[in-house]
Amino acid sequence: MSVAELLSGAQILCRVLVEEGVDTIWGYPGGAIMPFYHALPDVPEIRHVLVRHEQAAAHAADGYARATGRIGVCVATSGPGATNLVTGLATAHMDSSPVLAITGQVPRPMMGRDAFQETDVLGITLPITKHNCLIGDVAELADKTRAAIAIATEGRPGPVLIDVPKDVQNQKTEYRPVSGVGRQVSSARFSLTPDTQHLTPPDDRVRQAARLIAAAERPLLMVGHGVILSGAYDEVRRLAEKTGIPVITTLLGISAFPESHPLHLGMPGMHGEVHVNRAIQHADLIVGIGLRFDDRVTGNTKGFAPRAAIVHIDLDASEIGKNVPVAVPIVGDARAATARLVAAVAPRRCEAWIAEVQGWARQREESYCGDLSPENIVAAIHDAAPDRCTIVTDVGQHQMWVAKLYPYRRPNTHITSGGLGTMGFAVPAAMGVKLARPGEAVWAISGDGGFQMNMQEIATMVQERIAVKMAVFNNGYLGMVRQWQQFFHGGRYSATPIWSPDYVKLADAYGIPGWRVERASDLEPVLARASAQPGPALVEFVIEQEANVFPMIPPGATLSEPIEAEPAAAAGD
Amino acid sequence: MAQALSLLLDRELLALNRAVGELRRRNLPIESLAVGPGDAPGQARLTVIVNTDDATAEMTMRKLHKLSGVQSATRFPVRDGVARELALVKVRVPPERHAELLDVCDMFKATVVAEPPEQAIVQLAGTGAFVLAFVRALERFGILEMTRSGAVALPCLPAE
Repeated sequence: MSVAELLSGAQILCRVLVEEGVDTIWGYPGGAIMPFYHALPDVPEIRHVLVRHEQAAAHAADGYARATGRIGVCVATSGPGATNLVTGLATAHMDSSPVLAITGQVPRPMMGRDAFQETDVLGITLPITKHNCLIGDVAELADKTRAAIAIATEGRPGPVLIDVPKDVQNQKTEYRPVSGVGRQVSSARFSLTPDTQHLTPPDDRVRQAARLIAAAERPLLMVGHGVILSGAYDEVRRLAEKTGIPVITTLLGISAFPESHPLHLGMPGMHGEVHVNRAIQHADLIVGIGLRFDDRVTGNTKGFAPRAAIVHIDLDASEIGKNVPVAVPIVGDARAATARLVAAVAPRRCEAWIAEVQGWARQREESYCGDLSPENIVAAIHDAAPDRCTIVTDVGQHQMWVAKLYPYRRPNTHITSGGLGTMGFAVPAAMGVKLARPGEAVWAISGDGGFQMNMQEIATMVQERIAVKMAVFNNGYLGMVRQWQQFFHGGRYSATPIWSPDYVKLADAYGIPGWRVERASDLEPVLARASAQPGPALVEFVIEQEANVFPMIPPGATLSEPIEAEPAAAAGD
Repeated sequence: MAQALSLLLDRELLALNRAVGELRRRNLPIESLAVGPGDAPGQARLTVIVNTDDATAEMTMRKLHKLSGVQSATRFPVRDGVARELALVKVRVPPERHAELLDVCDMFKATVVAEPPEQAIVQLAGTGAFVLAFVRALERFGILEMTRSGAVALPCLPAE
């Protein structure tokens, strides 16, 4: 039984968020969003976190969404507030993360007149949101907000943005809460992708895939983010164990399959281990689940898996056949489709094939001076972390080291910016993860470049008591770019040396504990102390300046052409 | 190969913007875009003629299909259907050449739809090539202004 109340647009917005189960939002107030902030203190169900830059609000909402699978919400004012969200929304768009951005807009009579802090945020965010809209009248505010959240979370998730003019926030109308049934109706009405939501995979395609699996001599499973988004862990594991097929996890698929499992091979692509990429090149069947065969995974697609037939399971029909030719397309949810495939396949083993692949694995000589190697650091972070721990990484060399070296055991405990490769992601995203998983340890691991892009958020952590542990791999360079310069640009280190402040003093200035680690012998005691801190803590690792990530597939090359060692002395230009 | 993409959109500029933005982003050789009312209230129809191969057209259609505000998307090679556009051409016609103009219109099955003093506005529907041939035939009169709608299209066979 719902009773209509006369409420302002700002109050209605708060009510709808509560109705939709939102408990945490990230934002920054300003002129055009002030009515919303005026209403917010009356809504104790919602915790608002004041960030130091709106980009961090979007990344934190993204981190929260990835950790929970529920909508992550960020709020900004018009103009600069809205434009500062852009990188975060593009990040969420590339990695299919359900984020709702609420932006204030100048009052309707001012729109289109170059008003103070006016910007066409709908136009700006059109290609980087799954959906966006202007709230043209308070009468449509509740429904459009519910619809936006439904669109963000249904099917393949993605970010949405609603732009709310200031006078609409102040406009009053009768508000009726919507019951569960009504919500379904409104979301069905605005449902975006009728052809991909319900799709149960056609039986004959599943049978065809099962036949290919039975006949293959060198089959592989490649699993991506879709497995995490749909929670298909058990199904993928059952498929692997029933068929004995080894499993490759893409960067965003890491932790979808236990690293310690005997069937786990590793990460493919540009920095994939040689034996993993060679397995792809020798495979006669690849069953891809919830991945999009991104160019960082495939290398040059002309030479990708030349012997393999590809079975591709994906929720988004437009992903199938986009980058690689697919023999058996199965459009559907990863969990449902994989479950059907498990039921359809005959038990088998792949021992000879696995032995062949393992035979290709070899220890590589690390190009590393001193003992504070990425291996030692990642192992020490793992050893010091409690059983329940989520690792959020930034972008660059450390991201690849952590992806390859951290022994993930529990699903969805590795969170990183994959598709967009957004430096500066880790610190704010980790705040979102921490509030989503308050009982767990959360590490934000960054390089010295990415950390300095959003380190202002330490202040947010202190003010809001968000106990993120921060690790900075400091090599004094924008390491991955420097590596490319060393390999492909004749060693000309243009604009890659980067100065850092004294991170221990920085931590001190923010009132949090900080340590500098320069020797492997300091790893254990420092990480133990950092982990034991009740609040945020910062650990800097001073690592070898010119260490490289090996192996590496050069851009444009196929997976068969890895670089495994330093190039001979830079040839110059 | 000329391909027709036919989209039903929510009747709002944002949906059109999104669809056209996706086309722009893919840098496709667009021959024409035509926008008009859709089949039901609140709908708009966008017809895109694009010169590309089957696979690209198919991928583009799937991408368009999933956009917010796109209700349906179909495609077919233009040769499997009909694509026609409307042209309005304003020509200079002194009274003594009026009969000559009507002869040309007759040949092309075009109609004079307005006759300002010493001028005529002629309407023609047809393929792009047909419209161009007609325009050439009118050049001898002196073309003052013209406007073309871009093609709308229907498949002869079911699209799928």
